[in-house]
Amino acid sequence: MNSAVNIPYRNLIWLLTALVLLAATLSIFIGSNPVPILRAAREALSDTHSVIALILTEIRLPRTLIALVTGATLGVSGAAMQGLLRNPLASPGLIGSASGAALGAVVMLYFGFGSLFSLATPVGGVVGALSATLLVYLLAGRQAGTLTLILAGVAINSLALAMISLLLNLAPSPYAVREIVLWMLGSIANHSMDDFRILLPGVLLGWLMLIGTGRSLDALTLGEETATTMGVRLHHLRWRIFLAVALSVGSAVSITGSIGFVGLVVPHMLRPFVGFQPSRLLLASGLGGALLLLLADIATRLFPAGTDIKVGVLTSMVGAPFFLYLIIKSRRYQL
Amino acid sequence: MMARWFLLLVYLLSAMPGQAGERPQRITSINLCTDQLLMLLADSEQIASITDLSLEPNSSYLADEAVRYRVNYRRPEEILAQQPDLIIAGEYSPHGLLELFEKLGYRVERLPISSNIEMIRANIRTMAQWVGHPERGERLIRQMDERIARVSANRPGVPPKAAFYQPNGYTSGSNTLQHAALLAAGWRNLPAELGIQGYGDILLEQLLLLQPDQLFTSSYAPGTDSLAQKELGHPVLKRLTRGQPIINIGYKYWICGGPMIAEAIEELHRSLPR
Repeated sequence: MNSAVNIPYRNLIWLLTALVLLAATLSIFIGSNPVPILRAAREALSDTHSVIALILTEIRLPRTLIALVTGATLGVSGAAMQGLLRNPLASPGLIGSASGAALGAVVMLYFGFGSLFSLATPVGGVVGALSATLLVYLLAGRQAGTLTLILAGVAINSLALAMISLLLNLAPSPYAVREIVLWMLGSIANHSMDDFRILLPGVLLGWLMLIGTGRSLDALTLGEETATTMGVRLHHLRWRIFLAVALSVGSAVSITGSIGFVGLVVPHMLRPFVGFQPSRLLLASGLGGALLLLLADIATRLFPAGTDIKVGVLTSMVGAPFFLYLIIKSRRYQL
Repeated sequence: MMARWFLLLVYLLSAMPGQAGERPQRITSINLCTDQLLMLLADSEQIASITDLSLEPNSSYLADEAVRYRVNYRRPEEILAQQPDLIIAGEYSPHGLLELFEKLGYRVERLPISSNIEMIRANIRTMAQWVGHPERGERLIRQMDERIARVSANRPGVPPKAAFYQPNGYTSGSNTLQHAALLAAGWRNLPAELGIQGYGDILLEQLLLLQPDQLFTSSYAPGTDSLAQKELGHPVLKRLTRGQPIINIGYKYWICGGPMIAEAIEELHRSLPR
């Protein structure tokens, strides 16, 4: 392996945590209008419902929290997927979870189920993510090589995206068609604290399920057979990770739309810093994902006022060149 | 002076009974807004067809009445088959279609879009001329003006602050029918004071900083779901106006300029704080 960077793991985690906190604070301070945040915070705490307090607690705070949690989810899921499939191209997006989740959420939201009960949309997201992943898995076959798995993922992805477009075209709401872009690129603007509360349970459950998979993922780097002899129940591990990713990504995507490339890029960026060890990569990627999405969201707000750039546009703009770089690098190995 | 005399002459000539025979007898309208004015001003025998859009009760003020007429789907074949002697379209109706009709020798008239009450009056007059019933146009205008004047006479001394907030973060600035209606009913229109002209975006934070007393919306399809419509349910909006829910005013009153604006003004006036 090439170029491991020698930073003690603990220091790396502290550094990333500090950066995430910094970005989160920055994200609260930056908005379309200059608002005296400290005064707003004081007024919010003292229960005087002034407008700037409302802006802080009802607009900026949920946006920051949703960016943080969604970014962390995408990062951690990407790391888990790459560890499990031992392939650098794996990501929650490439295996179909993200587009499946978006499809599930679209079905629920636009056809009247969203108003039935508040968790309908995230449940749709989770079910969509799970079915897409399951479908990919079944299509590729049990003993599938990673290439087959990824090809199946591409197929399911485009099918899901096509279904999203079709459904939004058929949806009764006249606004639906415009929102195709939003579901495919993702946006975290204009969400409320309610949305954050809706997103949280599934995400936390998914995170909990990923805790403790680190050792098995480490063992897996030695190959499936060796891992099995070391006591890793591969089948069990696979389902656990798929379920965890579906739960957390499904819940997140049902609120934000499918935000591209975070889950793919972040683990790659951080892998050299954790000595290529999947167990350590999980937490680091979670923090890295949160950081990347927070920064991308801040960048969308720094664009000239009045235009609402979708955050997924920015993450894809970082992600796509990085993807190319990966392809070029892996081509060099093969030749 | 000469011009005024000339206009009077034209008016007298067009009002002369001998001219009545030249009223178009097979009018086809291919735009929702011209449908509405046509139904209000023409004899029902004069109307060959109106658009299917007029049947949709959310956007058509005269949806009940529209079922009495034949509908067209704005396809050239079906319209030509009706052999209309006058085709009425909106300012932004498809160019190609209208040029085709003109090339085939049909009379095509285009009605501009109205963004204030004076333009509504002008449009009513124009349509009344086209269908050959100018006196009906004047009567319609008089009735509308009387209703508006009655409301405007009871405007509060200090108008409360209002804003329109539509799905997708749209608002109505100056030079819109919503703006005209708000002012006529006795509200201030905050986005217009912010410098927004026509229909424009407003960011949620910007809207909050304006501190409106009341929010209005006028969405296309109430009862359907989308992310855009969910934005109206953002809890901050309700807290901003101290628990006052957003008031929905039907879209049919101003998607097209017409005398129905008076009804929207009355509705806006009724929602003034007591």
